[in-house]
Amino acid sequence: MSRLSAVKPAYWISGVLVVVAIVLPLLVPTYAKADPHLWGFPFFYWYQLMWVFLSAILVSISYRLVRSEERKRRAAQGLGDPEASDAPAGPYGSDGSAKEGDQ
Amino acid sequence: MNTSVDWVQLIIVVVIFGGVTVMGFMAARWRSAGHLDNLDEWGLGGRNFGTFITWFLLGGDLYTAYTFIAVPAAMYATGAISGFFAVPYTIVAYPIVFVFMARLWSVSHRHGYVTPADFVNGRYGSKILTLAVAVTGILALMPYIALQLVGMQAVFETMGLGGNNTLAKDLPLLIAFAVLAAYTYSSGLRAPAMIAFVKDFLIYVVILVAIFYLPHVLGGWDSIFGAAKEKMAKPNAVTGKPTGSFIPGNAGYVSYWTLGLGSAMALFMYPHSVTAVLSTKTRNVVRRNAAILPAYSLLLGLLALLGFMAIKANVNVKGLDGLANPQLAIPRLFDQEFPSWFAGIAFAAIAVGALVPAAIMSIAAANLFTRNIYRAFIKPSATPAEEAKVSKLASLLVKVGALVFVLAMDKTIALNLQLLGGIWILQTFPAIVVGLYTRWFHRYALLAGWAVAMVFGTVSAYNVVNPATKKHFGGSLANIPFTNTPAYIALTAFVLNLIVVIVLTFVFQALKVPNGEDTTHPTDYTADRGDPGVQDLPEILDEGGAATAKS
Repeated sequence: MSRLSAVKPAYWISGVLVVVAIVLPLLVPTYAKADPHLWGFPFFYWYQLMWVFLSAILVSISYRLVRSEERKRRAAQGLGDPEASDAPAGPYGSDGSAKEGDQ
Repeated sequence: MNTSVDWVQLIIVVVIFGGVTVMGFMAARWRSAGHLDNLDEWGLGGRNFGTFITWFLLGGDLYTAYTFIAVPAAMYATGAISGFFAVPYTIVAYPIVFVFMARLWSVSHRHGYVTPADFVNGRYGSKILTLAVAVTGILALMPYIALQLVGMQAVFETMGLGGNNTLAKDLPLLIAFAVLAAYTYSSGLRAPAMIAFVKDFLIYVVILVAIFYLPHVLGGWDSIFGAAKEKMAKPNAVTGKPTGSFIPGNAGYVSYWTLGLGSAMALFMYPHSVTAVLSTKTRNVVRRNAAILPAYSLLLGLLALLGFMAIKANVNVKGLDGLANPQLAIPRLFDQEFPSWFAGIAFAAIAVGALVPAAIMSIAAANLFTRNIYRAFIKPSATPAEEAKVSKLASLLVKVGALVFVLAMDKTIALNLQLLGGIWILQTFPAIVVGLYTRWFHRYALLAGWAVAMVFGTVSAYNVVNPATKKHFGGSLANIPFTNTPAYIALTAFVLNLIVVIVLTFVFQALKVPNGEDTTHPTDYTADRGDPGVQDLPEILDEGGAATAKS
């Protein structure tokens, strides 16, 4: 379990981004106010709707980071590309061949 | 307000309903004629569809009576805390899913798990814990289905069906129930998947028209928010407190974020959402969709604001039985502001939009029963035909259970039905989500934590009395024990659950209580399509197919 130091930057960066996308929209005191207004919307309402876009951006970046890291890991283990239409089975057995891979 | 039947609306609704149903049945026939390969492609997660269509389909599932009726009704009645929390809820739900769902996908596809209870069984080797998870799933789906029935009921009532005598009073509800029962009993899970496109198309048209046209005729967003602010500040006739909250004050912060977080964590514990996620093609489709699904929250937020528009438009929410029913706010708003024919289309969209998820949910509950209770405990040797029969019967019973919730519970705020389901389903989170990462929790500690939290959550919710109607289960917020801070009961119970699990895990470990056999392997949690032992799960979509053993 002392794998923490071996965690790839891609994983911890995406982890931080995801945590930001979960925690910030829930910090109510930071946005429970009426001003400034935008197009007739009080701040409380438009700020939360804005988080829809921020969240999509943050999670997209995390997705790209995790996917490319996972591709590298799979290539290193000789496993096939799961996105291919006919994904071939990898050459290794299912047990024990993969050492790392916990995200 | 209509007191007689609006024939234009009724005819349009009946025609669209009929068309959609016939389409569903035809599609189901065509499928069972042997084109099973195509079924994969039609999976809820999209399979070979491009990202756009996958988004379209998955997102369409999120639009239920919850979005269209319950959230705006809550906004109409008591404002931001009881309604607008749905926006942060749906925004944070996807990052949460991003974190753990890929692991659930992998382990499920390697072991042929179709339900959350299957996973718990494989991971902890405890029949009783599996039973607890399965029962919770079935129980929690009932109020969620009840919410869909309430939504359909509101639409039928707005069209003028029903009346004020005892028999006619519940007519709209009985119609909703009969339609749902007939639909699921004869079509299985295929038809709802088939008509998802039509349903989504209708819903998008209505949403776009509603959020652009209505603010225009009602005098702009400024005056809509102004009217809402004024109403929320007015003292309530019964309690003397303000009617609701326009922007939460200090006292409402904890309620707001716990409602959001609790609902978000609960969303993907529901058996039907797990099924939808597992039917995707590869482990990362879930993550890709988590990145683009938040866009739906934008429309949800704008729909929530329809509740404020109803305030501005002075909509009459008195039901045909003479009692005020906030659930009528949105249908009545459409009835009042749209021409009859478009209101008819909107009502059809809402009704179909409530029917399809209700069908999917009751079938998910039935499969859970057949797979994890009937086959595991009652008759392990059942033939597939017997299992299909049991499944159909169970789905009917689940719907009757939902009907009981509708009739027995306080319906002032229908959103409470979904929140009550959330209180229960969230208590399976430690076993499922924590179980995806570590096997440290002891199986009996998980069971004890679950039991304590279920009792605590149910009792707390029971003790919430609606001051106006004096009914129990009048809300989902209660003070955190030993404080004066109200919070969503689901999250309070969840914390209690975790504390019990952790303490008892230490105790059981010290006493060396056997901890069951874990049949999963660490590599199972990162496996992807095409890896050795990983199988597609097309049976997920088959009616009664989840009953076919596969391992």
